[in-house]
Amino acid sequence: MSDEYVITPVVSDPNLAASGDEVTDEMKLLENAVQELPANAVKELITHEVCVRCIFRLFNIHEGIHVLVSPTILYSIIEKATKLEAVTTKCSQMPEGKSNICSICLGVMQFSYRDQREMLVEKDHAADFAMMIAESVKEKYHEITSFTLEVSLPTLIIENESVILSYMKKKYASEVWFQEKSSFEHIISVKDALKLSITNSLEVSLGVKSSVSDFRIRLTYEHEDDTSAENKMGKNQCNKRIKSGMYGLRNGFVKCTNATVQSGDVSDSNFQLKKVGMPCHMALTFSQAPVYIGGRYLKLSRNVSQTRWIIDDERKGEASVEELIGENILPMCNGDGYKFHAAGREDIDVRMLGSGRPFLIEIQNARHLPSQESIKEMEKKINGLQSNLVRVKHLKILGSQGWSLMREGEAEKQKQYAALVWISRSINEDDLETLSSLKDLKVLQRTPIRVLHRRSPLDREKIIHWMNIEKIAGSSQYFLLHLCTQAGTYIKEFVHGDLGRTHPSIGSLLGCRAEILQLDVTDVKMDILNE
Amino acid sequence: MTTQNADSAADPAADQQPPQAPAVSYDEGYDAEKELHKLLLPNVNDLPISPSSAVESNFVTYLAPDFLKPEHDQYIYRHANGLCVIGLAAGHVAFKDEGAITAVDFNVGKSNRSEIKVTGKRKRNAQHFESNTALCKVCTNNASYIVRCCIKGSLLEVNERLLKQPELLNSAADREGYIAIIMPKPADWQKIKDSFISFDEYKKLRHF
Repeated sequence: MSDEYVITPVVSDPNLAASGDEVTDEMKLLENAVQELPANAVKELITHEVCVRCIFRLFNIHEGIHVLVSPTILYSIIEKATKLEAVTTKCSQMPEGKSNICSICLGVMQFSYRDQREMLVEKDHAADFAMMIAESVKEKYHEITSFTLEVSLPTLIIENESVILSYMKKKYASEVWFQEKSSFEHIISVKDALKLSITNSLEVSLGVKSSVSDFRIRLTYEHEDDTSAENKMGKNQCNKRIKSGMYGLRNGFVKCTNATVQSGDVSDSNFQLKKVGMPCHMALTFSQAPVYIGGRYLKLSRNVSQTRWIIDDERKGEASVEELIGENILPMCNGDGYKFHAAGREDIDVRMLGSGRPFLIEIQNARHLPSQESIKEMEKKINGLQSNLVRVKHLKILGSQGWSLMREGEAEKQKQYAALVWISRSINEDDLETLSSLKDLKVLQRTPIRVLHRRSPLDREKIIHWMNIEKIAGSSQYFLLHLCTQAGTYIKEFVHGDLGRTHPSIGSLLGCRAEILQLDVTDVKMDILNE
Repeated sequence: MTTQNADSAADPAADQQPPQAPAVSYDEGYDAEKELHKLLLPNVNDLPISPSSAVESNFVTYLAPDFLKPEHDQYIYRHANGLCVIGLAAGHVAFKDEGAITAVDFNVGKSNRSEIKVTGKRKRNAQHFESNTALCKVCTNNASYIVRCCIKGSLLEVNERLLKQPELLNSAADREGYIAIIMPKPADWQKIKDSFISFDEYKKLRHF
């Protein structure tokens, strides 16, 4: 093993002089705790390039992890306690005074990482790091009331820690200090240590508490050399060399498992630690739980589809309900995108009138929660659009229960329609009686030909709850058919019979040919979003 | 909405409490209904005397005259979604027989076409037929005639109502008397569609 100690040079560090003057309580506690450290074990860890905070972590000295001082000062404390100065004369010059990447935490506990632009960043302590995060949050989000911190780390960290721990346990098993304190058990993980160290500082910088929250701050650390995701035992048993400086290759194998002991005998010179030359990439992302805005919509046009409908780069219809509503609400919430959900749907050439159809807009990553007044304003705005294609009613913000509200009982609900029907002979009074006398009429509908290409061929029994004919002044063969049916009934096919595949049909009931010219939905009977 | 208001007005208990403003006032509710009704009523002057039928609006009609045999005329209604409805065209020789069509039998070729069960969106179990594959036999008092697929594709459904009601062919061969529904692959349709003629051309051909 090499005799070289690679520690940042302590001699010319200005921080050292400053800390010498201000010894806080925490520092005192730390200095006391450090006295108990076994010099030989610490020396060993330093040799293997374990960073100072990880050393504190492995020995459960939590003050060392949280205290807001630079690693340089922490090193000096350790050196004083374990009398390592004598051996620190030889130190290799580090470029730009940056520390070596810790072989366990890969720079995470050193607040050292590569950002999105591949720039190397290193912060002195948790508060500086938290400040950077907080600033980033404040740039984009102005209204958070709490936050949840999520951290994702490469598995290589756990693996390297296992390697070092098993090595240390084997080597120092016989030492007094080892046996007395049952050392190296219940060690706080890098992930937990990181979260604990920055949570307080984040709360201070952001002015809100950390809790189970809709707003998430996510730190994702990744490293190219972390091949463990694809690393199954079988795959890696080839004689490939890992690029970033492996030492202790045994028979050309690389064994990366989460088990503590890999091979039978782990001797001093046989140490399968995977070291890296650069710190991890760290990506800082935020997300906000979606905001739900619901209401009822009316579709006044026969050329507007419910959802965006584009085939071969061509739009069907002149607009869609989804876009007309979504594009207006999205900017009000300053979100990233929206999803449209409605309780049922109607064809592009069918108008949705009367009470309107319940719908829900889910705004993703909404940065601004609109007030009830601005929602009312939005409702007026949409209703005032010149194109007059769509109207909204009862627009309001819903909680996350909005989703289940939509699905609840959708299938059992009744729908009411008005159809413009033509028959092949003149209407007579008997016809009115024939249709209005039928209550809860059972109709057997084979899958309509117009949807047969994408739906299962099935016979579906549906119920027509009631019907009546409204004569149209000036016409003897046209009338308005009002009807109330079970959800899922194909109305057009009930009128024209779909070549006899829907039976009975208006044609068969009246004994003539019947055609439907127009269809309008006049009521969607659901108990939600009614005010 | 209007009945709700009537009830609360008649309820004496309501007098003791401040009246709850109903969701829609009587006037508003009545207006909403009137508005709705105005939207529903068509302009009578815009209504055609005889509107186009569901078939005319939703399908393109093709005719295959003399398909494999003289006067064996069949129609193909093709929907925008690619499905094709096959049936006997008005000029089919079977209609010329005395008493017209009396029976239909789907048991032709290797299987009884009325017994296939096609399931699922992917239309499993559908049999793949060629354009000259027999669909069924229509019988008159004098003779029987084979009806063919006309197009290559999967047979989705036959009109099994014809078994009990063969007279549908006599009264409405172009609608309720259809024979079958076939789903051709787009490429197969492209190959064959030019061999068919339009309804107008057919009328001229048969002097209707």
